[in-house]
Amino acid sequence: MFTAAGFAKTWEYITLFKQGLICTVALSLLTVIFGFILALVLAVMRLSDIRPLRFLALTPDGHLREQGFLTLLSRFNPVSFLATVYVEIFRATPMLVQLFIIYYVVLGDVDFPSYKLFGFIRFDRFVPGVVALAMNSGAYLSEIIRAGIQSIDGGQTEAARSLGLSQVQNMRFIILPQAIKNILPPIANEFVTIIKESSICYTIGVQEIMYAVTSTKGATYRIAEPLVVATVVYFCLTFPTSKIIAYFERRMSVGDKRNGGDGKPKKARMKIRQASILRSQGGPEGFSFHAGGEKEE
Amino acid sequence: MSQHLIQVTDLKKHYNRGAIKALDGVSVNIDRGDVMVIIGPSGSGKSTFLRSLNLLEEPTGGSIMFDGIDITKKKTRNADGKLVKVDIDQHRQKMGMVFQHFNLFPHMTILDNMTLAPIQVKHMNRAAAEEKALNLLARVGLQDRAGAYPIQLSGGQKQRVAIVRALAMEPEVMLFDEPTSALDPEMVGEVLDVMKELAAEGMTMVVVTHEMGFAREVGNRVLFMADGKLLEEGTPEDIFTNPQHPRLQDFLSKVL
Ligand SMILES: Nc1ncnc2c1ncn2[C@@H]1O[C@H](COP(=O)(O)OP(=O)(O)OP(=O)(O)O)[C@@H](O)[C@H]1O
Ligand SMILES: [Mg+2]
Repeated sequence: MFTAAGFAKTWEYITLFKQGLICTVALSLLTVIFGFILALVLAVMRLSDIRPLRFLALTPDGHLREQGFLTLLSRFNPVSFLATVYVEIFRATPMLVQLFIIYYVVLGDVDFPSYKLFGFIRFDRFVPGVVALAMNSGAYLSEIIRAGIQSIDGGQTEAARSLGLSQVQNMRFIILPQAIKNILPPIANEFVTIIKESSICYTIGVQEIMYAVTSTKGATYRIAEPLVVATVVYFCLTFPTSKIIAYFERRMSVGDKRNGGDGKPKKARMKIRQASILRSQGGPEGFSFHAGGEKEE
Repeated sequence: MSQHLIQVTDLKKHYNRGAIKALDGVSVNIDRGDVMVIIGPSGSGKSTFLRSLNLLEEPTGGSIMFDGIDITKKKTRNADGKLVKVDIDQHRQKMGMVFQHFNLFPHMTILDNMTLAPIQVKHMNRAAAEEKALNLLARVGLQDRAGAYPIQLSGGQKQRVAIVRALAMEPEVMLFDEPTSALDPEMVGEVLDVMKELAAEGMTMVVVTHEMGFAREVGNRVLFMADGKLLEEGTPEDIFTNPQHPRLQDFLSKVL
C-alpha cells in the first residue's frame, strides 16, 4: 500500500502541499471573518422587533388587543422571517450542493480578473469558494451568536431599559459585551470546523490541500501517500488550534468561578455549545457521539 | 389633567387568551411623596402591577396616566391635539426600578454601572456624572467601592448600589420589587435603612415587599392584592390593626 518510493515521489510535489496549506488557511480565515459578519447581521435580524403589522393588534383607541387572529398577524416580523428562512435552508442542504450552486449558477457568469493570490491561488475559484463557505458558515454562526445573546439574563435588559436605555443601547452596552465572552470559543471552534470543511472546495478547483492530493495523484499515480501527507497537514493545523482554544476557554470559565459567577455562565455556555455542536459533529472536542442530535431550544 | 402623579385605571394583564388574569382591573392613584407598599400572597400580581407601571409588562387593558400622558398607548394626543408617538424610553427614565436580584451589570465597575445611563441617555458629561455617582455612593457608604465589580460586593451592598444607580437618573418615582427577598437576613436592615431615608426625603415610592415592619413603619398607604385584584387599600393602621377583607385577615394571620 505505502511504499518508500511512493513517499519519495510525493515529496517531489511537496510545494503543492505547502501552497495547499496556505490556501486552506486563507480560505478558512476569510470564511470565518465574512461568515461572522453575515452571522451578526442574521442574528440581529432574527432578534429584531420589526412588526409592520403591529397596528393590527391595537384597538381604535390605541390599546393592545387581548387576543385573536389579528394579534397573531401583528406579530409577524418579515425581517426575522427572512433570516430564519436563510438559516434553515443553509442548514438543511448539503454543503456541496450550495458550493456548486454558487460556483456554477450564481457566480457562473461573473468574469473574475485573472488575478492570482500569493502568485498561485486562482481568484475565479477562490472567491466562489469563500462566498459559499461563508454563506454556509454564517448560517451556523448566527445560531451561536443568537444563543449567546439569549443566554444573557433577562434581568440585564430589564435593568437597562428601566434606566431609560433604548433597545439598541442595551445591545451595545449591556448584552453584546457580556455575550461575546460566551460566543468567542464556539466561533474559534467553528474556525477549526471550517478548516476541515474547506476541503470540499477542491471540487471547484480551489488549490487547497485536497487539490494538492489530486494533483500529486495525477502526476505520480500514487494516492495513499499523498493522502497521508494531507492527513498530517490537516492534523497539524487543527489539533493545536483546538487545544489552544480549549485552553483559553478553560481559563475564561475559571475566571467566572473565581469571581464567584452565579453558576450561570457555564450553563449558558453549554447551551451555546449545543448550537455549535450542530455543526462540529465529530469536532475537536469529541462531540462525535452527539452526531444527529440536530436539535436546539 | 389630573393632580395625581400616576393614575392607574382598570389595569388588566391577561395571559393565554385571558385564561390567566395576572391583573384583573386594578385602579389606584399615586401621589407625589406617597410611599405605597403592596402586599399579598405569591402569584397575586404584585410584580406584574409594578412592572406594568414602567411597561416592562405591556398591559392588555386599562390605562396608566403618568405626568398627564397615557403611557399604555402607543400614540397620544399632544397639547395641540396632534397624534404623537409615546416615547416609552423617556418615561422609563423618570421611574427608577430596583429588582429582587439587583441586576447590576457584571462587566462594569460600580462607577460605570452608575454613570452609563446618565451619560448615554441624559447626555451628561463624564466628569459630572462621576461626581454625582460618587456623591450618591457616599450617601450609602460605598464611595470606596466605586472601582469594584459587582461580583466583589455583598448582596446588601449590591442592592444599595442598585438603588443609587436608579437615583442617578433623578427619577420622579422609585419602584421596588421585593428588594430584600434575595438577601441574607443580616443584610436586610442596611437596604431598608436606605429606603427609609429615601422615603423621609419625600421620594415617591411603590414598594412590593414581605417586610411587614417596613410597610407599617414607612408606608403611608398599603395595598393588599390577591388574584390580580386590589382587595383592600388603606393606611398601615387600617390594614394591620383593622383588616376588613377575609383574604387579608387570612394573609396577615400567616405572615405576622
Ligand atoms: N409570562 C407569563 N405567562 C403566564 N403567566 C404569567 C406570566 N407572568 C406571570 N404570570 C402569572 O401571573 C400571576 C401574577 O404573577 P406575579 O409575578 O405578578 O405575582 P407576584 O404577586 O409578584 O408573586 P410573588 O410574590 O411570588 O413574586 C401569576 O399567577 C403568574 O403565574
Ligand atoms: Mg413578584
